[in-house]
Amino acid sequence: MNTPSAEMPDTAGPTDPTLIDRMRGRFFARPLDVVISAVCLFVAGFVFVKLFDWAVWNAVWTTPDGSSEVCDGIKGACWAVIDARWRLILFGVYPYEEQWRSSAACLVLVVTVILSCLPVFWRPIRLSLLWVCGFVVFFVLMRGGLFGLSSIAPTKWGGLTLTLFVFASVVLFGMPFAIVLALFRRSSLPIVSNTVAVFIDVVRSLPLVTILFTAALILPFVLPGWLQGDKLWRVIVGFACFFAAYQAEIIRGGLQALPKGQEEAAMALGLNYVQRVTRIILPQAFRNALPPTISQLVITFKETSLIVIIGFFDILASGNAAYGNGEWSFAYVEVYVFVGLVYFVFVFSLSRYGAFLERRMRVGHN
Amino acid sequence: MTEIAIAVSRMNKFYGKFQVLTDINLTVKRGERIVICGPSGSGKSTLIRCLNRLEEHRSGSINVLGTELDEDVRNIEIVRREVGMVFQHFNLFPHLSVLDNCTLAPMLVRKMPVDEAEALAFTYLERVKIPEQAHKFPGELSGGQQQRVAIARALCMKPEILLFDEPTSALDPEMINEVLEVMIELARDGMTMLCVTHEMGFARQVADRVIFMEEGRIIEENPPEIFFNDPQSERTKSFLKRIISH
Repeated sequence: MNTPSAEMPDTAGPTDPTLIDRMRGRFFARPLDVVISAVCLFVAGFVFVKLFDWAVWNAVWTTPDGSSEVCDGIKGACWAVIDARWRLILFGVYPYEEQWRSSAACLVLVVTVILSCLPVFWRPIRLSLLWVCGFVVFFVLMRGGLFGLSSIAPTKWGGLTLTLFVFASVVLFGMPFAIVLALFRRSSLPIVSNTVAVFIDVVRSLPLVTILFTAALILPFVLPGWLQGDKLWRVIVGFACFFAAYQAEIIRGGLQALPKGQEEAAMALGLNYVQRVTRIILPQAFRNALPPTISQLVITFKETSLIVIIGFFDILASGNAAYGNGEWSFAYVEVYVFVGLVYFVFVFSLSRYGAFLERRMRVGHN
Repeated sequence: MTEIAIAVSRMNKFYGKFQVLTDINLTVKRGERIVICGPSGSGKSTLIRCLNRLEEHRSGSINVLGTELDEDVRNIEIVRREVGMVFQHFNLFPHLSVLDNCTLAPMLVRKMPVDEAEALAFTYLERVKIPEQAHKFPGELSGGQQQRVAIARALCMKPEILLFDEPTSALDPEMINEVLEVMIELARDGMTMLCVTHEMGFARQVADRVIFMEEGRIIEENPPEIFFNDPQSERTKSFLKRIISH
């Protein structure tokens, strides 16, 4: 164990080690290191070459006439399936001629999300205005029936646009709901805190699939007609309740980490309840709860694919449809890789944004 | 404007079945400086926390600046607006800069415009001798500096009364004096102060009256000359002997 200078020979001087020196020190210092490093290098190289061979070198990228014949007998990936079917994957069964609307709506949503990530928009008024505008524009574009746009029912929405829309709506309705639940759960009135606790525990005990199924198919039998709304909205409300139950517990964890003195100091300064909660309690609770909140958002983004069970074509379901018609059925791997990449782009950005927020919020904290 | 700042009469407080304060009677005039001392668990912190309703009393009455402290939230808010508090553990808001810590309450509670609140904050930060730290966060300051910011934050509400709850107990020894100096200066300016502390030198120097508490009761209440040189109660004597002997 204690064999000094075995790993770092001749490092008496303050000269900066070169890259090669550092590599040698880290990976090739001892005989066993050399063996392990060599094996790992070989495996990594092998995998890379095979992957490159399949995904790039031997791949077919386009299909001029839209048929799958270009991929007959090839050894690599058949990306031609994406070329032929990308509109189905991204927009689902949205009418073909109107798909510019779906892509524009998708763009509006992405821009709205990106803007609301900027600290400039972190004012209650600005944020709500941004989202009201974003949703109105999205809705007019997607739903139509205004400004000469033809009307398209939500049952025909699909693909990436639908996935993003469901995610954004669930978080937008679910997050305020979660905050309310978390605050009520701390209430000094037992009837309030217990009711909320039971609600949270009940919702958490149910599988998401059950909740979505109930919202979509069973609620119409129970609710009066004027309350039913569209199937998509019922699903979003059900999903938002599910999200809120989990998120409420995450926020409660953040609240519990706050020292009691914080609220006392705010009280002693004369701040009322709303001021204490919005200026002192919640900002700190959210900072404490940031890592699990980002996880919850990531999970929710991926769970949106469950809406397929009540007949919505999110991006994963559209992907299934894209190879599922016989002609392209051999190319399912390529389709899944593509869909996987789309998910990765969004989820990875979300994680990086979370990391950025953590760095930003750590300012001045030891 | 009454001459009486605080009038507590026959006040009792319980934690569940345990009685923490028994039959407290206390009158504080405007401009008076009161030091409260006593062994730990004697209820001295609880007493001053009752004066701005961080704790509820069960019976008796507490009247602060002519407002009766009861269930009425409006009364509580009126009192808290006029009574500042400095805590043992500073309780600065870590997510806000020093300046924002000072301007938050004046802007939210007194509806003061931003520039006015910031000017006021700088006035008081200068008074506690740390205007240069205004844009730092509390976590970047030493304990003594944080406590001075906490005093400035309380002063920014222009309170009639300041409550100090063991303001130097959580500080390293070399930082205690910088906080005490600020408090002595405040006392000279005529601020009405109630201070729970073990700093007997401070009590001797600034207090108009020193109150000794034990087991939830006020045992003795005398000017410092009498309190320290000729204590009337046996229990005060033994307490003073214990804290001054070493």
